[in-house]
This record gives sequence, C-alpha cells and structure tokens, in this order.
Amino acid sequence: MGLISLTTFFPVLGIVIILFISKKNLLAIKMVSIVFSFVPLVIASYMWLHYKYPMTGIDLESQFQFVEHFAWIPAFHIDYFVGLDGLSFPMFWLTTLLSFISLVASWNISKAQKGYFALFLLLETSMLGVFVSLDFFLFYVFWELMLLPMYFLIGIWGGPRREYAAIKFFLYTLAGSVLMLLVMLALYFNVKDPVTGSHTFNMLHMMHKSNQSAWLTTFDVRLWLYIALFIGFAIKVPIFPFHTWLPDAHVEAPTAVSVILAGILLKMGTYGLLRISYPIFPDIAKYTSYALAIFGVINILYGAFVAMAQKDLKKMVAYSSVSHMGFVLLGMAVFTTAGINGAVFQMFSHGLITAMLFLLVGVIYDRAHHREIAGFGGLGVRMPVYMGIASLAFFAAMGLPGMTGFIAEVMVFIGAFSVYRVLTIIAAFGIVITAAYMLWTMQRVFLGKLNPKYEHITDINGRELFTLIPLGALTIFFGIYPLPVLNMIKVPLNYLITLIH
Amino acid sequence: MIPATNLLILGAILFSIGVIGVLIRRNAIVIFMSIELMLNSVNLTFIVLARQLHSLDGQIFVFFIMTVAAAEVAVGLALIISAYRLRATINVDEINLLNG
Amino acid sequence: MDLIIPQINFSAIAPALTVMITAVVVLLIGLFFQKVQRELLAIVGIIGLIVSLGELGRMWGKDITGFGGMVGNDNFTIAFQMIFIIAAFLAALLSLNRIEDEYVSYGEFYGLLLFALSGIIVMVQGLNLLIVFLGLEILSISLYILTGFRKMRADSIEAALKYFLLGAFSTGFLLYGIALIYGTTGSFSFKGISSYVNANGFTNVLFVAGIILFLVGLAFKAAFVPFHQWTPDVYQGAPTPIAAFMSVGAKGAAFAVLIRLFVSVAAFSTREWTIAIWVLALLTMTIGNVVAIVQQNIKRMLAYSSIAHAGYILVGVLAGNEMGRSAVLFYLMAYTFMNLGAFGVVSYLGISHKVENLRIESYRGIGYKYPFAALAMAVFMFSLAGVPPTAGFIGKFYLFSAALKAGFVWLVILSVLNAVISAYYYLRVVVAMYMQEPEEGKVFELPAASWGVGLALLLAVLGVLYMGIFPSSLMQLFQKTAELISML
Repeated sequence: MGLISLTTFFPVLGIVIILFISKKNLLAIKMVSIVFSFVPLVIASYMWLHYKYPMTGIDLESQFQFVEHFAWIPAFHIDYFVGLDGLSFPMFWLTTLLSFISLVASWNISKAQKGYFALFLLLETSMLGVFVSLDFFLFYVFWELMLLPMYFLIGIWGGPRREYAAIKFFLYTLAGSVLMLLVMLALYFNVKDPVTGSHTFNMLHMMHKSNQSAWLTTFDVRLWLYIALFIGFAIKVPIFPFHTWLPDAHVEAPTAVSVILAGILLKMGTYGLLRISYPIFPDIAKYTSYALAIFGVINILYGAFVAMAQKDLKKMVAYSSVSHMGFVLLGMAVFTTAGINGAVFQMFSHGLITAMLFLLVGVIYDRAHHREIAGFGGLGVRMPVYMGIASLAFFAAMGLPGMTGFIAEVMVFIGAFSVYRVLTIIAAFGIVITAAYMLWTMQRVFLGKLNPKYEHITDINGRELFTLIPLGALTIFFGIYPLPVLNMIKVPLNYLITLIH
Repeated sequence: MIPATNLLILGAILFSIGVIGVLIRRNAIVIFMSIELMLNSVNLTFIVLARQLHSLDGQIFVFFIMTVAAAEVAVGLALIISAYRLRATINVDEINLLNG
Repeated sequence: MDLIIPQINFSAIAPALTVMITAVVVLLIGLFFQKVQRELLAIVGIIGLIVSLGELGRMWGKDITGFGGMVGNDNFTIAFQMIFIIAAFLAALLSLNRIEDEYVSYGEFYGLLLFALSGIIVMVQGLNLLIVFLGLEILSISLYILTGFRKMRADSIEAALKYFLLGAFSTGFLLYGIALIYGTTGSFSFKGISSYVNANGFTNVLFVAGIILFLVGLAFKAAFVPFHQWTPDVYQGAPTPIAAFMSVGAKGAAFAVLIRLFVSVAAFSTREWTIAIWVLALLTMTIGNVVAIVQQNIKRMLAYSSIAHAGYILVGVLAGNEMGRSAVLFYLMAYTFMNLGAFGVVSYLGISHKVENLRIESYRGIGYKYPFAALAMAVFMFSLAGVPPTAGFIGKFYLFSAALKAGFVWLVILSVLNAVISAYYYLRVVVAMYMQEPEEGKVFELPAASWGVGLALLLAVLGVLYMGIFPSSLMQLFQKTAELISML
C-alpha cells in the first residue's frame, strides 16, 4: 500500500475503532478521531518534503508522483488509479490540515458524538479520494461518497432548518453529479486505451486526442459534454446562479462542517474543472473562456454585494466565499501564467482564510448563541485576543499585503488584465466592496459601545486558539514566502496552458 | 362439420364476453365466473387449433389449463368466502380498505 | 398424430424437485407436529434451499436439458435461479420475526413459500410456453394464499382477493396469447417460435396479437405500467416478508422469461418492438417514482419504488446485448439484497403494542433508539437511490452503460433523471429516522428482535456493500454467463 492510500484510508481505520468504543466514552472517541486525522496530516507533510517539483503531471502517468495503479473492476476497465501532481498536492495537504483542525474544533459537539466523528472521518477519506483519483470512475465514486457524510453532518447536527438545508444540499449536488455521470459514460464509450484498445475510464487517456473517437472530436458534441460537466462542477463551486444551496447549508451546518464545506468542498468544483474539463476539452475551454470570466466577475460582485447586505455573520462569510471563488474563476478563464497560478493559489489561500473566518464565527456563536451582526458591539474590550485574530483573518480576506490573499488576487489581476481589460477593472471593484463590508462588520462587532449583555463574555480559550493559530501563521507565512506552493503548482499549470494554446 | 374459423371466432367472442364481464361486473363471484369463461374460451381455441394443426400439444395444454383452473377455483372461492365473513359483502367496490 | 414418449431427465429439474419435496416435508411436519417451533420449520426449509443451491452448482456449465427439451438449464437460467433461492432464503429468515406471528400455521406458510419458489424455478427453466405457464401458476397460486395468510385481517384478505382476481384475469390474457401463438406457429417451444419468426417475421396479425397478449400477461406479473395498479394494495396487505419475496421473485421470474424470449427471437430488436419497450420502460420508472413521492405508507412507497426498479431493469433488457443481460442479473442480485433488506427493516419495526408502524412519520427518531435497524435502513435506502459505494449504484451504472452501449442515449438520460427524483423519497425515510423528533415525544417500544431478522439484515447489508465496493468478481461471473447464453 502506497503513501496515498495510507493517507486516504487511514481515517477509515479510525471509524472502525470508534465503532467499537462505547458511546459514553466521549474522550476516547474524540481522541481517536483527532489522532486518526492527525496522522494523515503528518504523512502528507512528509510527502511534501519528498515532493519532486519539476514533474508536470496533468496528462502523463509518468509525470505523477506517489502513483498507485491496479485493476479494480476489470469488466469495465476501471482502475484504482491514484497519484498526485502540483495541481492536486496543495489541495490534498490542505484537506488533511483542515480535517484535523475541524475535528479539534468539533470538541463541543453535544449529541450523538460517535456518529458525528465517524462521519467526519468518512468525509475526510472521501475528500482525499477526490483529490488523488486519476480514474474518472474512482473520482466519481469518491465525489458521490462525499455527499453522504456531508448530508448527515448538516442534517443531524445542524441548526433549526437543518432538514431543509441537508435535502437541498443533497439534491443540488446529486443533480450535478448525475450530469457528470452521463459525461463520464459518454467519454468511456468514446475513448480507447492506447495499449489494450479497450474503453477506459483513465482520465489521462481521455486527455489525448489520439485516443478519442471521431464522434468525440466533433465540436458540438464536445461543447455539450463540456457544458454538462461544467454545470456539475459549477454547482459545487458554486457559480451564480447555482449557488442557492450554499447559504442554507452554511447557516445550518455546525462550525466544523462549514469549515470543510467552504475550505475544501467549494474548491472541488474548480479543481474538477482544472483536472478534468480543461485537459480533456482544451479547445472548448478556450472557446468558452470569456463566458467563464463573466461568471467569475458576476460571482465576485454578486457575492460581495449580497455579503454586505447580510445581517447574519455566518451568512456574510458564506457569501464572501462566493465572491472569493469568483477570483479563482476569473484567473482560470484567462490562460495566462499569472492568472491560472493565481487562481490555484487563491484556492489554497482561501481554504486557509475562510476556515479561519468560520472558526471565528463559531467561537462567538458558542458564547453569544446568535450570529446577528447588529446584536454585538464593542466586543473588542472584553475579547482582545479574539479581536486580534479576527482582524488578521478579516484583513487576509480583504487581500491586504503580507498575506496569502493578496498574492493570489494580485496574480489573478495581473493575469486577467492583459486579456480582459474591462472585466478586470469591473472585478477590481469587488476588492473595494469586500474591504467595505469586512471593515464595516468589524466595526459593528468589535468597536463602539459594549453591548451590556456581553459584559461577562469570556475571551477565546486555548483549544480555539490551537485551531486558529496554525491557520493564521500559515496565512502569513505563505503570504510572505509563497514559493513552496507556487513552485509546486507552476510546472503543471504552465504545462496545462501550453496544452490549451 | 362446422368450419374451424367459425369455432375460433366463437372462442374470441366468448373471450371478449369474459373480459367485458370482468371489467363491468362488481360482484366478485361474477367476476370470477367471467374469468372462468375466458379460460374456457381459451380451451375451446386450443382444441380447435390442435385439430386444425393435427398436433396433440394443444389438447394436452387444455388438460393443464383445466387443472390449474381447478386449483384457482379452490383458492379463489376460499378467498371470497373469507372476504364475505370479514366484510359481509363481496362487492369489489366496497372492499376498499387499502389505499394510499 | 404419433405419440412419442420423450426422454425424461429428472436431473434437469433436480433443484425444483428438491424445493418441492422440502415444501411437502415442511407442510407435513407442520401438520403432524402442531407444537413444533417455527424456527425448526424454517431451518428445514433453509436446508432444502441450500441443497438445491448445491444442485444448481453441480449443473453449472453443463447445459442440462430434460423432458424432450421442454426444460433446460444454461448458466444464465441457473444464475437467475440462484438469485431467487437467495431471495427465498432471506424471506424465510425475515418471517422468523416475532412480529410476524399471526400466521397461525407455519408449516403451511413455509411450505407455500417454497412452492412459490419452485414455481419460479420451473418458470425460469422452461423452454416451452406450457412449462412457463405451469411455473407461473404454481408461483401465483401460492402467492395468492400467502398474501391472504393473515386470514383474520380484512386488509390481508382484501389484498389477496384483488391480487387473485387481477392475477387470474391476466392469466386469461397470457393463455389466449399462447393459444394464438400456437395457432400460428404450431409450437409451444421458444425454438419453434424463433424459427417461425425467422421464416415469416412479424407479418401475421394473429401471431403479433398473440405475442402482445402474452407480454401483457407477463407485464401484469412484473407490474409494468399500466399493469401495475394491484402492486401497492397487494404489498400493503400481504405479510411483509411475502411482499419482499414477491417484489424480487415474481418480478424477476417475468424478466427471466422476457429475456429468454428476446434472446430466442432475435427479430424483437426491430424498430417497432424497441420503441414499445422503450416507452414501457420510461413509463414504468417515471410513474413508479412520481407516485412514490406522495406515499405515506412505507410499504406502498416500497411498492411504487419496486415498480420504478422494474423500469430500470427493463432498460437493461432493452439494451439486448450481453452487457445488458449480465447487468440485469447483477441488478436483480443487488435488488434482492436491498429490497428484501428494506422490507426486512419494515417487518422488524412493524408492530408495537398492536399499533402498526407503517407510516413514514412513525419512523421519526428511530435512528437513536434502534441504531442498527436504522443504519441498515439507511444503507438500503441509499442503495435503492443509487448512491456509491452501494450495490444499487454499481447496478444502475451497469444497466445504463449497457443501454448507452446499445445507443439508447435519451432513455439513459431520462432514467438517470428518474434516479434523482427517486432520491427524494428515499431520503425522506432517512430524514425521518435521523433528523426529525419522534411523534408524541418518544419512539415506540419493540419486542426483542429474533436472530433470523438480525441475520437476514446483516447478510443484506453485507451483500449491498460487498457488491458496491468489490463488484468485479460477480460482474465477471455474470458477464461470462450472459456471453455463453445458449438456445439449448
């Protein structure tokens, strides 16, 4: 068993152990789940140390690292085929990190803890599986598998309207994945394995034009397949107008689940576009790039404006994610080195920042039991440490220099400006609006007169600090020294751009 | 001798009467009798066909149908009696406890 | 008119004979030893099932025919028979449940269950319309009685009466169809029909009418729309394990005959027939799914869901290729586990303090009170909805791939949309179990579960997960089976 499988399925081992622990023994359940999510982080970090930067990945198996490849369902030529390249590795590592942090942040879950931690570990396995899969069928299985724990985590441990939010999340995502399933089958029957001559689900084989059937090379077919696949991924991102499940899911989900939802799940949409749609349909990706850029700009502005209008702190953060994912889309749409690198760096950076924001919302919700922005005021006096970390996170989200968001957004703008000048200028307003609502929120929550209700509110505690400080430190570290990530992503992404041009 | 075609048409007519009986009558016993009429019209058809085709198969089939029909009568009448005991009616429109 | 005594080969019907003899033995034990525990009867029955599985294993790959070619066992039919024996095995275990204790006479209950199974086996083995008819009637008559087995209950008798009247009615059509086929082809065997069609095509109106009537008769048994109206009533009124067995057995047997007919008569792939089955499949799954959404009674919901699943399987039959046939087998196997499992949970949660818990609302909150039953139910629901990593997903994937391979793109798209619709009502059960507060503040109390139900549910869950995660060995087996399908 290779390192990837070990990392991916290690949490499953934790589930098995948890199932044998009595449900009264809360401490043991929590410790087991934390340990079994910490080990994957350690292995992933070890893998980072041994990562070979110059390998391109994308469409050649020999260019992937830590590859494991053997037959799974031979009748359909489905392989267990996993591997990492510069595009997937940052997301892979981020998943192990955020899973661990979310589990620590789940310490205070108050009902059915056994089920919660078991499902959370299952969620980690399925997310890691999505990022490492290089076989389309395997990818799809993990993609769908992810739905189940997420559905239960929202539906059982969520807020008052959890049932509605869970079903909406499930049906939206299921509708999206069904489109993906159809495209997957269409590709399967029209792609030949160059070695054996049989059909194949191998994504890398699908990317080579020489393996594709004549039908698959006709423009109309490619366009429709691309659009169907795009909708499948767009629901996950979520791209306007497919975003309506997101605020409901976020508002109802428990804090740790929101962290995973915003930090990892949203990135899967854009990851899927880069991993599957772009290399398989490079011509269509180019043909539709202007539309994608417009979608990106709409996301940036729409997300920002709606965030500004929110009264609920968590909903505000949720819509800010919609806005920030817009930068990823804009960067992806332009096919310049700076743009696409910026987009992927933004995926990584936003994962860190939005996780912090949701954790911070969780901290205050645990104390005040509500999230009305207008209901706070002057908390800075009573919670100075909290305010410090919150300021860091808010500034990072605004894209202030010295933090990851700044680098990502600047790269996206540089990359996009040379291609779509007007759109980029419009998108730049998004930055201004973001700054406006972030600062306004901070002002309403922390500054001003202390709301007498919160005279005795306590400051952030050690466990909460333990979840927030690593994220804050990484935001600053990669904001000052982004090269470890940029070096990793640039080789495959530059290769991807040459494929498209 | 009566031509085979006429007998086949008679079979078809009897079958149709049976089908119509099942569809329009509401008394379970009468419905059941209509079904028996359908089966017997099939028997008639088989015998005529067997004769026309000079093969025994059709006539043998008739014996099987008769046996099966007898078994069905045993079960069917028992069910109708049970239904009457429990509900004091065998009108199929009034036997309607089960619905969504 | 020469009478030739054909060569009789009893080993060709050994599995059916074993099941029938076991049925008689169980019946007699029940009759003469009134005090005997029903567990013992079930165990005797199960031993018979295992022996007949062994017989089938022995016959594997040998293409044994008997009775002058009227019955035959190629691997394809053997695979079908094995699936039905497994279904009967699970149903026998489920009926050990303490809740299913109002049957009064268990010897007759298990005896009839085994007779029904033997009818299915005969039907599947048949290479001749006479045998198919006989098997179908053995099955149907046993099921009429089993449906009305709780004879002091008006709903049970009502269901049996409805099933009986409609079943006998459809038998009439089936027989008239056979008569017309016989009249035009002069033969009852699939071989004879096949050579007739190869020579004449579908030109004779009487022959076409015969085939249509025959198919209508089968469609009643398999509950295709628009011949499905009896299903919800019968499933609701029948004892739950019997409803479970019917949903797999009666349906599956009809599919086996349908496939046998289509394989024998290659001309069924002509345009008109294809369109007809295309429409039938789409109607069946769509109406099943749409009507299932509004059901409040879980047995009725499962009944409509089983109608919808018949539509999915029909897609595989329509595909008409080897992949389609092996997909049908695979799906039927998966469906056996998930549907019998779902009915098993319904039976387990069936009655507490003389109140029936059959409304979906009554399942509220059981996720915490009965965690194992609820977890099993959740697995079955997700499998029925077709979510990975369950057997239902791989099965649907298999069926739809086969249909795509055969070029039915739009049908596959519509089927997949149907699967999404179905997710909604399956999720309702899961939502009720885990996400809603119990009615009247607390969950009902149940008597302790019997080992039979526990074992059946465990096997079903393991089956669903095994087929979902490691499907390849069964797939290869079925694929080989479908490739080697012979005309015998």
